[in-house]
Amino acid sequence: MSVETVVTEDDLAEMVEQVWASYLDPEGVSPLIPTADADQPTEVHSTVSITGTWHGHLVYASSMQAARKAAGAFLAMELDEVGQEDISDVLGELANIVGGNVKAMLPAGCFLSLPTVVLAPQTASYYPAAERISGLWGVWDGEPISISMWQSTKTGDNA
Amino acid sequence: MKILIADDSRVMRQIVTRTLRQAGFDNHDLVEAADGAEAAAKAASESPDLIISDWNMPEMTGIEVLRKLRAEGNNVKFGFVTSECTDEMKNAAESAGSAFFIVKPFTADQFQEAFSPILG
Repeated sequence: MSVETVVTEDDLAEMVEQVWASYLDPEGVSPLIPTADADQPTEVHSTVSITGTWHGHLVYASSMQAARKAAGAFLAMELDEVGQEDISDVLGELANIVGGNVKAMLPAGCFLSLPTVVLAPQTASYYPAAERISGLWGVWDGEPISISMWQSTKTGDNA
Repeated sequence: MKILIADDSRVMRQIVTRTLRQAGFDNHDLVEAADGAEAAAKAASESPDLIISDWNMPEMTGIEVLRKLRAEGNNVKFGFVTSECTDEMKNAAESAGSAFFIVKPFTADQFQEAFSPILG
């Protein structure tokens, strides 16, 4: 089953817009601007895995500066007060929120993992049994951010 | 009133706290739990008037906490604030006695609507 028929890039964009409106840009002055540049560089990323009727991963990736700004916005902190733990926690929560919304659009019977955060580029992690099927790439105050979905290329319980 | 906020994410506990304040509910005692087992324990030891719980937590999930409390005869007002929202989850929550189901990301307006009947 292809998830593209269930969760489109427009769906991802709508979820991201809600996250920005609720937490990252409540004043509506600094939206995520789509670039469609799938190769834009990232420095940190977080992942939640989905298993069950669909197998794959939701990956949120950004520059360190964008992650720091996100942590500042989530935690109502000045940027120079934001520490590594704050960045990790907020990155995990961002993947969790978008992943939870993705799960809601998938067929019943899916399970969402707790998030895994890596303060290294997305290219530092490998998903050997999955391929990227969709994503949203953009800039927030000039800083790169991406949200992508990776679908398992295997089927069954071991996928 | 005393409110127990149960979420394994420190960030989300903080955001729930802030959103309660933004929604005008800033004169309540807040207690936190970082996983389901701690939530169940504090539901007993702290006797909160309201529990706002995540669904997916280590040790015990939110729905397991709710079912445990109801099985023990604890009828505290209990509801979910979660990033996950499927019909099966909503049905399970309702069947177990959940009073509300708020999906992340949420706004202060949604909190006001959900909690006004409970917190006044």
